[in-house]
Amino acid sequence: MKMTLIQAELPPELTARARSYVEDGWAADFNELLADALRRFLESHTARVTEAFVMDDVQWGLHGND
Amino acid sequence: METIDQNPPLVVCDAGPLIHLDELGSLDLLTDFPDVLVPDAVWREVDLHRPGVLTSPVVRLRRVAPRLAEPPELEAMAQVLGLHTGEWEALRVAIEHQPGILLTDDSAARLAAANLGIHAHGTIGILLRSIRRLQRSKNEILTVLRTLPVRSSLHLKRSLLDSVIREVENA
Repeated sequence: MKMTLIQAELPPELTARARSYVEDGWAADFNELLADALRRFLESHTARVTEAFVMDDVQWGLHGND
Repeated sequence: METIDQNPPLVVCDAGPLIHLDELGSLDLLTDFPDVLVPDAVWREVDLHRPGVLTSPVVRLRRVAPRLAEPPELEAMAQVLGLHTGEWEALRVAIEHQPGILLTDDSAARLAAANLGIHAHGTIGILLRSIRRLQRSKNEILTVLRTLPVRSSLHLKRSLLDSVIREVENA
């Protein structure tokens, strides 16, 4: 798989926790952990999910009972 | 009218709706709820980005801290969904104040809320609810929605916002 090199600034505490997670064997390496975290973020913020919540707001806002 | 006779529940606020409603001149819509709780972490976040919200004369916000130990299912959810401190604390406080409503504009926080059985809504819901609760006219809310992209930091896809506007127009 073709990979892209990115440079990012992370808070030291977050970095230390992530490295500890890798050292404990929960992820193959730091890169894999970051890719997994990014994947999970994008999965939970998809347009489909966001749109469903907004349309739920429309129904509640206009037709709810509280 | 039946809809305005019902007692609304209390609300627990994440930072997004507080900031977005204030940007839209609609923070007063929260006065319709008997209690507006703002968790500590959310309070600090709002204080950083839009401090005027916290001293606004139009609504009384109550700063609270979670009292109970964090439920294990929330801890797991926070890790899986990458929740920020404010969202995570808002969920904790919402769990402690059921059946309250969590107000958040964050999709991950709403996903977590749904999994935890917490009733959650966002800025759009509060705006539209104000028509039903006779706090605003339909035309007033349509004006807010049409100007939302330039008045607010709430980002909505144009086609989705257009759908919301159509729903209000046809209601």
